Order: sequence, then C-alpha cells, then structure tokens
Amino acid sequence: MGTGSTGKSDEELYRLTRKGDQSAFSELYLRREPAIYRYALHMSGSSVVAEEVANEVFVQLMAPNAHFDERKGTLESWLYGVARNLVRVVRRQGPVEAAVDRAFEHDILGELIHGENIEALQRAMRDLPERYRDVVILCDLEERSYEEVAGLLGCPIGTVRSRLHRARALLSTKLRWLNAPAEVCSR
Amino acid sequence: MICTDWIAEIVESARRGGKPDAALEAHLSMCAECRERWTAERELTSHFRVMRIHAQARRPDQAGPVLDYRGQMLMREFARRQRATKMTPTWQWSLAAAAALLLAIGIGRELGLKNRHVPVHPTTAKHGSTHGDAVLYETAAYETSSDAVALSSEEFIAVPYAAPLATGEIVRVVRTDLYPEALASMGIDVNPAWSGDMSAEVVVGEDGFPRAVRLAENSQY
Repeated sequence: MGTGSTGKSDEELYRLTRKGDQSAFSELYLRREPAIYRYALHMSGSSVVAEEVANEVFVQLMAPNAHFDERKGTLESWLYGVARNLVRVVRRQGPVEAAVDRAFEHDILGELIHGENIEALQRAMRDLPERYRDVVILCDLEERSYEEVAGLLGCPIGTVRSRLHRARALLSTKLRWLNAPAEVCSR
Repeated sequence: MICTDWIAEIVESARRGGKPDAALEAHLSMCAECRERWTAERELTSHFRVMRIHAQARRPDQAGPVLDYRGQMLMREFARRQRATKMTPTWQWSLAAAAALLLAIGIGRELGLKNRHVPVHPTTAKHGSTHGDAVLYETAAYETSSDAVALSSEEFIAVPYAAPLATGEIVRVVRTDLYPEALASMGIDVNPAWSGDMSAEVVVGEDGFPRAVRLAENSQY
C-alpha cells in the first residue's frame, strides 16, 4: 500500500511535495484520499464531516508547518492520525448530521443500508470506544491486515486482534439488544 | 477445551466468511453459547460487507490519474501556497538584503567624498601641474614662481599666450631694444607717433621664448 503508479513510497512523495512538486502531491492525494474519506465517514457517520475531514487532512499536509516526522511512523499513519483528531474535534462540538445515505436512498444498496440492522450497527459503532472503532473500521471495513493496522495505530498485532474481537463482541451484544423484542428488553 | 479458547477461531472464521473447519463445527454442534456467538459473528460480517460496499461506492479507490473537483481545488491551493512561499522573504534573505543595503550606503559615501568638488584658486596653483591646469598660469604663474623673482615686479608685464614656466625652470632677463610693434604684440601700450627702438628688459625662459617684458627705466615711453 506504500507505493502507487510512480513506484514511489508515500514518504518519497511527501519529500517531493515539500519541495513544491505538485504532481507528487497529486499522486499522494489520489492514493490516500479515498481511504481517509471512508475512515472519516465510518468514524463520524456523516458524509459532510467526512468530506471536510478528508480535505482538511491534505490541507494540513501541504501546510509549511506540517509536523510529519518519518522517524516516528509512516505518512499513512500520520494521515489517519490527523483524520482521527479532526473527527474527534467535530464530535466534541456535538452530534453530527447523519446524512450518510442520501445519495443511495432510492437504490438497492440504499435499501440495504437503510435496513434496521445496518442502521443499528452504524449507531452501535458510533458509540464504541474510539480504540475499538478504529480497529473495526480498518480491519473489517477497510480490510487491512492486522500487521498493517498495527503499523497504522502504532501498537502490537496482538493488541489489534484482541481489540477487534472485543469490539465485535460489544457490537454483537448491542445489536442483539437493539433487535430484541420489547418485552425482552424490559425484563 | 473451554469455550473462551474457541472465541478467536469463531471470530476469524466468521470474518473470512467461509465454513468453519471440522473441529470448530464439531464444537458448535455441541455448544449452544458458541453457536449463538458464531451466528452473531456471521451476521456482523454480513453487515460489514454491506457497509464496506456502500462506502466504496461513495468513494472508490483511485480509479485513474484524473482529479475530481475537490482534488483540483486542493491542487490550486497547493500552487497558490507555493507561489506565496517563493515570494515571502525568509529571515535569511531579509538579513542579506539589509547587509547589501548597508554596504551600498558605505560605498556611496566613500565615492561621494572622493569626488567632492574642491575649488582651485589661481593663487594656489603651482608650476608643474598638468596641462589641464595651464589656463590658470596665465594670471598666476609669475606670482608663485620662485625662479622668477624678477617677475614679481609690478613693472613686468606677462607676455600673452606664452607657455607657462616649468617647475625649477631658470629664466634670464635680457636687456634689448625692441620695435614698438614688438612691444605692442607683447601687450605694452606704446605711443603710435614714436618710431624708434625702445629699450626693454625681457624675461626669457630656457626655451628662449619671452615670458614677460618691461620697459627700461631710461626708455622714452
């Protein structure tokens, strides 16, 4: 995942970007922006927030005082970190608009998305602690390997695996509770 | 094996989306709790798949080298910032510019002092100056020449258009009789009615040319 059409790594492209190479910045954007957008979408539950966050991540990347340091981790990890912080700021300001699916309201995928279970799962995910939400999004929604996620989050593989198992257990429990008949819940 | 030992296997197998292996299947057939967890995990995997497809549809991975509208706006911003960065002087450049300015002021002052106009008075001119100063000698040469003490007399009259004396040049005073026309050519007024020779003393330079002239005391002028 580190290299793209030019064969250059993210870090090489970043160095070129710092020297004013617009094509390097463009390639970096094309390579990383979609995943950052989807990550922000799942983290926030809002497409509007996801758009803003994904854009702001790259604005910060081009800023003269961008604090990315290769010695501390990969550029991709830095990008996810910035996105996470931005979503955190937005969530702190209050509940975000849950307008994720407006564009898909009238098609089959939209109907699936608007199914009770999916909506319940999305709500449950938003209520997960951040460290669990992170691994669910990266491992199960972005289909990244444990190794990759461990690198992105800066923690051991075992931690990623245990967090994922714990997160899935929490989500299953929550879904079961949400889908349970009213009389069961009232007991 | 207790059920907690099966959790990892249940989760990973459900995530893969395939059938459980024989050992897990055997355990699931015997343990209702694990079977329930297996069903929940499978359901979760199915939901995640829908969410994943949905998110991918909204923003697929790089389809080509063409930037969308947001990307184009970002590139414009990138170009604008690059231009601004190039035009913004850094502190090193500011320092260099200030140093260059100070240097220019210093050089300008130095040149200005050297080229300042100093008025030259005829009385301060000396023999031996360059030819450019020759015009000054016509009025001042005899006053400053130490070799031509005789020329300091007010009775001597400088011969017009004569070359100035050189520094250290020895002059001779020659007494001679001159025609009135010759005296007139040296700038001495003579009586036009008088036609004879006139006795005069002529200051002659080393080159033999007259520099000044005066009428002798016994002349009839």
